[in-house]
Amino acid sequence: MRDFLISIKRAPFQSAASFLILFFSLFLTFFLLFSLAFFEGILAYLETRPQIIAYFQPKTNENEIFKIRDELVSSGKVLSIKYTNQKEAFENYKKMNQDNPLLLEMVSPDILPPSLEIYAKKPIFLPQIAEYLKKQPGIDEVQFQKDILDRLLTLTSILRKVSFSFFGYLFLMTTVVLIALSHFKLALKKKEIELLSLLGASSFYIRKPFLKESFLMAFLTSVFSFGVTFLFLFYFQPFLDSYLQGITSLSVNVLGLSFNVWPINWFFLLVIFFLTSFFGIVISLFSTFLATNKYL
Amino acid sequence: MIVFEKVTKKFPLGNVALEDVSFSIEEGEFVFLVGPSGAGKTTILKLILKELIPTSGSIFIDDMDITDKSFSKILTLRRNLGVVFQDFKILYDKNVFENVALSLQVVEKYSFLEIKEKVRRALSIVGLADKEKNFPIQLSAGELQRVAIARAIVGERKIILADEPTGNLDPKTAWEIMKIFKKIEKEKTILFATHNVDIVNSFQRRVLVLKNGKIIKDLRKGKYEF
Repeated sequence: MRDFLISIKRAPFQSAASFLILFFSLFLTFFLLFSLAFFEGILAYLETRPQIIAYFQPKTNENEIFKIRDELVSSGKVLSIKYTNQKEAFENYKKMNQDNPLLLEMVSPDILPPSLEIYAKKPIFLPQIAEYLKKQPGIDEVQFQKDILDRLLTLTSILRKVSFSFFGYLFLMTTVVLIALSHFKLALKKKEIELLSLLGASSFYIRKPFLKESFLMAFLTSVFSFGVTFLFLFYFQPFLDSYLQGITSLSVNVLGLSFNVWPINWFFLLVIFFLTSFFGIVISLFSTFLATNKYL
Repeated sequence: MIVFEKVTKKFPLGNVALEDVSFSIEEGEFVFLVGPSGAGKTTILKLILKELIPTSGSIFIDDMDITDKSFSKILTLRRNLGVVFQDFKILYDKNVFENVALSLQVVEKYSFLEIKEKVRRALSIVGLADKEKNFPIQLSAGELQRVAIARAIVGERKIILADEPTGNLDPKTAWEIMKIFKKIEKEKTILFATHNVDIVNSFQRRVLVLKNGKIIKDLRKGKYEF
């Protein structure tokens, strides 16, 4: 730590530049990781909502509805189906409009349609199921969220691609800038490096203090970036609360592990912190390693 | 201990630094390498340090052919060599103790207590026992060269290569430095490049005389003659 502080004192501008470029990259990394996690979480959430709702004409015979339900189940394309009869629909309607007695007075169970809420095994089955339902007798309307899901899938896929490209760019930019900055610092120690080499120091021995310094710089910058991101997240929490109203929790699955994204979760934050710190430390060590190569 | 066999060193632009040089130095010998500037003294030292690679010929240090393409013990080689430079090569951000200790730390096998003991012994040989905490800026040129000598002799470095170590010093200080070399010559093999006539003549040791990259004389208990 003493050597680290001395090094900062000796080359304050180079150290500040290293800190700022690392901070910029790591802050953006945090931001991108959070955005990705939220989008993936919202996508996963929407996939848990009924994907197709088929409304039947109010006087449709229940047996006909059950027949359609059984055919769908036997098709192998459906994950689950929930039947809502007129009475249940009315109960739901009452719950939704309990603050508006006028609306309740005007409606009776007879006029509400029975419905089937269908969850498909894969999104590609949705149009096939919808087409099948439209052709069935007694069907009044078929609603399915393909458009919303498609848009969200496209958006998440774009965001994922953009994020990876951006990570690549950040990695390259930060590495190049850090190599240039390391060269400045190494130039100040050129004589010492030459002397150590003549005395028989191994390459690792010569590199060690520079690598240590890079490691510390990257770690401290990650902590700082994390702190700033954390403040941002809590500043925007009321906005997110209102935006995600009604969504009790969002979670993402990564490599078989499930992480709760919303409400803000400490474990998830810790994982993001370790990932970003790792990214920062790798960039920093890699740049220093390449820069020291010139002198060894 | 040090053997040069028909060593030639040509630089890329064609200038010949050494041509067909052969000599051997036994363990414990004190050899002066003399000659005018550009004669090839520093090239010989750099070849031993493996800072340069010869164009042709072979160099053996302790029976290791350091010119062999498969030679990979450069660290072992350099850890056996102590080097004293004309410009001292002292690190100004480290104190006297730290500068000397560097020579042991790079070997990565000594404990702190061992380093402390060996550095103090080396500093007492060069007469700087009371200045171990001083920084280079607080020392005279002669004292800086003593630090460089202490750094070269500390530990188990068997061969001392001195590249005009008295070149930047006044005559009185130069003699003080030579007294230190006299003190350590019993324990080390010393190859001393200089063009200081008085020093060479008064020491009466072996002298290799170089001119235009060739050894023109190899004198036992010799004098500096052109």
